[in-house]
Amino acid sequence: MEDITLTINGKKISCQEGTSILNVAEKYGIKIPTLCHHHDLEPFGACRLCLVEEEKTGRLMASCVAPVAQDMTILTDSPRVTKHRRNIVRLMMAEHPESCLVCSKGNRCQLRQIAAQLGVGETDLYPIPNYKRLEQANPFIIRDLSKCILCGKCIRADHELVVVGAIDYNLRGFRSRPATVHDLPLKDSSCTFCGTCVSMCPTGALASKNTKYVGTPEREGLSVCGFCGVGCSLTMGVAGEQVIEVNPSHRQDTVNGATLCVRGHFAHDFLNAGERLIRPMIRKDGELISASWDEALEIVADRLLNIKRTSGPQSVALLGSSKCTNEENYLFQKIARVLLGTNNIDNGGYSSGQRLLRLIDEKTDGGCRIHPLEQLEKAETIFVLGANPDQSAPVVGYYLKRASRKGVTLIVADPRQTELADFASVWLSLLPQSDLELINGIAALLYQKKAYDPSFIDRFTEGFGEYGDGLSSLDLERVTGVTGLDLDILEETAGLLNGKKIAFVVGHGILQQRYGMQSIEALFNLSLMTGSLGHAGAGIYGLARENNQIGAWDMGTAPHALPGRQPLNDVLNSDTARRDWERAWQAKLLPDQGVNVVRMIEEAEKGNLKALYILGENPLRSLPQPERVRKALASVDFVVVQDIFPTETAEIADVILPGAAFSEKGGSFTNMEGRIQTFLPVAPPPGEAKPDWESLFLLAAKIGYTGGNDSLEKIRAEIAELVPMYVELDSQRDVAWVKETSKRKLFDPGGKGGMIPFSSVVSTGDEVYDDIYPFTAILGSVRYHLGSGTRTGYSDRIEELGLKGEVEISPEDGINSGLRDGDMVRVLSPHGSLERAIRLEKRLRKGLIFVPLAVNANDAMNLIGLTELCRPESPGWKTCRVKLEKL
Amino acid sequence: MRPEKIDWGRLASIIEKHRDEKSRLIPLLQDIQETFGYIPPKSIESVAEAMNLFPSQVQGVVSFYAGFSLKPKGKYVLRCCRGTACHVKGSRSILRVVEKELGINEGDTSPDYQFTLETVACLGACFLAPTMMVNRDYFGKLSPTKVTSILSEYRKDKEEQ
Ligand code: SF4
Ligand code: SF4
Ligand code: SF4
Ligand code: FES
Ligand code: FES
Repeated sequence: MEDITLTINGKKISCQEGTSILNVAEKYGIKIPTLCHHHDLEPFGACRLCLVEEEKTGRLMASCVAPVAQDMTILTDSPRVTKHRRNIVRLMMAEHPESCLVCSKGNRCQLRQIAAQLGVGETDLYPIPNYKRLEQANPFIIRDLSKCILCGKCIRADHELVVVGAIDYNLRGFRSRPATVHDLPLKDSSCTFCGTCVSMCPTGALASKNTKYVGTPEREGLSVCGFCGVGCSLTMGVAGEQVIEVNPSHRQDTVNGATLCVRGHFAHDFLNAGERLIRPMIRKDGELISASWDEALEIVADRLLNIKRTSGPQSVALLGSSKCTNEENYLFQKIARVLLGTNNIDNGGYSSGQRLLRLIDEKTDGGCRIHPLEQLEKAETIFVLGANPDQSAPVVGYYLKRASRKGVTLIVADPRQTELADFASVWLSLLPQSDLELINGIAALLYQKKAYDPSFIDRFTEGFGEYGDGLSSLDLERVTGVTGLDLDILEETAGLLNGKKIAFVVGHGILQQRYGMQSIEALFNLSLMTGSLGHAGAGIYGLARENNQIGAWDMGTAPHALPGRQPLNDVLNSDTARRDWERAWQAKLLPDQGVNVVRMIEEAEKGNLKALYILGENPLRSLPQPERVRKALASVDFVVVQDIFPTETAEIADVILPGAAFSEKGGSFTNMEGRIQTFLPVAPPPGEAKPDWESLFLLAAKIGYTGGNDSLEKIRAEIAELVPMYVELDSQRDVAWVKETSKRKLFDPGGKGGMIPFSSVVSTGDEVYDDIYPFTAILGSVRYHLGSGTRTGYSDRIEELGLKGEVEISPEDGINSGLRDGDMVRVLSPHGSLERAIRLEKRLRKGLIFVPLAVNANDAMNLIGLTELCRPESPGWKTCRVKLEKL
Repeated sequence: MRPEKIDWGRLASIIEKHRDEKSRLIPLLQDIQETFGYIPPKSIESVAEAMNLFPSQVQGVVSFYAGFSLKPKGKYVLRCCRGTACHVKGSRSILRVVEKELGINEGDTSPDYQFTLETVACLGACFLAPTMMVNRDYFGKLSPTKVTSILSEYRKDKEEQ
């Protein structure tokens, strides 16, 4: 593009051809008022408020759509421009109802702001307010379209950013308004209540519903969403000491831009729930009673040291939190390793397949840790396996749908016809747990066609020959049998992948599956073969369910790894990592791996576990077989629960320590991309609750620790100093990225790293199903809840939605079983049962049952077995065989 | 036209016919409008699916053009002009007379699907104000008696059937 020069308000400016006058003006700090323009949306030119004048010709034009041209002389504030702008605003005001005083947008209404700036008071026009019916029949959004100025931002946000298409203009002229199909209420439309349109609306036409508070926030603060691993950047509006409103932050370099999902936008009202823990509690004579911090911490320190002394450090275990900050997890594992001398430490990310993602990390020596989501929109091809981000990590769903709209080939492998499948070039409706065969089958077809990347393979890998032999001898007929897919569609998929670098997006469908380990290895092989690693917009993107499950792992709340994902036990390299940490911490570290969360339960059952300290996790709700977990934990002598709510797990604790939620403390989270975001508190914690890092430090001091770490800054500085991955973490910047620490300089053509080996081709075993359990139940997320639903369950708005979590069945099976919509059924598996209403869902194939997670106190967990997830012989936590009984 | 029961098979074949055309939405909608006399609201989803659009977008187009209707209309569509010139010449009372004669309000269709009453902003025949149209025929310099006699012509037509 050519450079051109023009003058704006007498200032000579040179810029690139093709940009709009508004963009250029903004870049040079010249402010032009706008109402329908947004930097993330396509220019629209509806409101005409951004008028500017071309001095030579006298032409008035809308600067947001008018492109710059050579030698233009633009005036942005001439008397003519101002006069026209005033008239535009007067006309808008004349059509506006006179409810400004009670409007919840208050002084944040852009129309009011602009009217004030332009000095428009009384319009002197005959008012013709355009009354429309007010809609508030849902817990999230109030629509008062009489205040709509038809800027179209909501519609464009809905189509271009979140790609839902719930609304569009309806009718013409004076009657024209944004509307859903058939003008139904939002709750009966395809709207996902992401609230993106609400944050965009310049007037009070769209507003967040807040039943408890009226009025506008007194102040705003930046934070990071505490729900899923996307880590959306937020602005929280605070009144008094409470967060009363959440919007996407105005920063422009964030992962979410102007979008959020329903959880981030609306479910944060859990922060104000009356059930929040506000003071420490201790168990006396079987009853939980209030105690002072000092008393409670004294007991914790005493009992932990005592048990360590009498039963040995192996009898103590700590469960860190995939929701707590990096600083807190770091301190927590340090307490475990240095003060209590145990490696029995894990975090809730275990159930999201951390162990599987570790495989990739090990194979690449930490050379594939950064996966910016924005690169998905520039990917050559995207292959989604076992992931339904539309529900589990919605902002990832937006990226994928936008990519598909931009023409990126999207392949979706999912037994269910998800919303995302509708955006795919190919939807592979494979049978549950057959991803391994699918991946191998596609690799074999590519191999047959010699559709691999020989130069990548030569330079960076070893063992391709044997891998190729494995693929050649793969029985494609068995592949089609196991996956339930025709050879045609496999061929078509291979055709789409031929010659492409692929971005794989994997979710719990793989990470929690029976053949998860093998599937990840097969996927890794496929990505090596296609040269998809070490390349922007390609590689393996693992969806992170919890906001800081990546950070918790990085900080070493894992039984096998020290901070920075360094191996605890690494004889080949003379245990360098452990030795370094021993020096840094001046302590002796045990070389043996600790137990993961499932083994903690098993050890408790065997009577080997005497003390368990649980930080911000609720295993009684989030793990399979809750009754079994309850029994196991009840048998542990001493259980500490540090949390923000009186969870199911807290009820059996001996000491409860009240924590601060993320918005009430400072810290940092690391998202699924490898982006580290630091934040400050926006509101104080309730009652006597304390930020977890603070109570952990106080506890460490009681146990006898004297090594500093008494402020957030000091903990953070220690992390940055000792963890090579986190050198960029400091308090001066809000965003940093993890460092890929591979010493082998993988994928660097100049680097002389070792080669990455292919692993051999393995197949699934043959399934033998018990006829007693004729259906396969798939357990999956719903967008209104996160994980097991502990926090979202305390959200008034989510509560008001009244989700029943209907179990879904295909119409064919439903009719055969004599079931109709709304019938109550009992779903039984070999492990347990649950009772819910049923719904016939035509998007579900025969033989499958879908059970939504999180609802009903997450009773879905009754159905699956607790056996270790991340092992080759694991039964998987994603699916199980069930039968149905009509009630 | 009295709406017949919608033949969904026929609708599907119309959609299929247009599926692979370029800039195909408007021709497809015209085809449906002509075949059924209106765009059955329930067809919006299938049209959207075939055109790879959001249903809300299809509805936006349907409701934008006066040529498309989401409701079945009467055999005779009356358009009473409510533009400025006609207003000055008393179009308000003309509309009242029509409403009273037909027993329906503006925007409605008579239960026997004989008449639909609409208003428009200007019929472009201001020199004849006040004006109205019945299907494609213009009527001008209206007075209440003239309106009554015009309407009785169309009613007679019904009785003859
Ligand atoms: S509802 Fe708000 S965002 Fe949507 S068109 Fe109206 S004013 Fe604009
Ligand atoms: S809340 Fe989200 S899904 Fe619903 S209309 Fe607004 S942008 Fe679309
Ligand atoms: S839950 Fe996830 S996608 Fe939704 S706002 Fe929070 S971080 Fe973003
Ligand atoms: S901001 Fe340019 S027309 Fe609305
Ligand atoms: S105003 Fe009635 S025809 Fe023009």
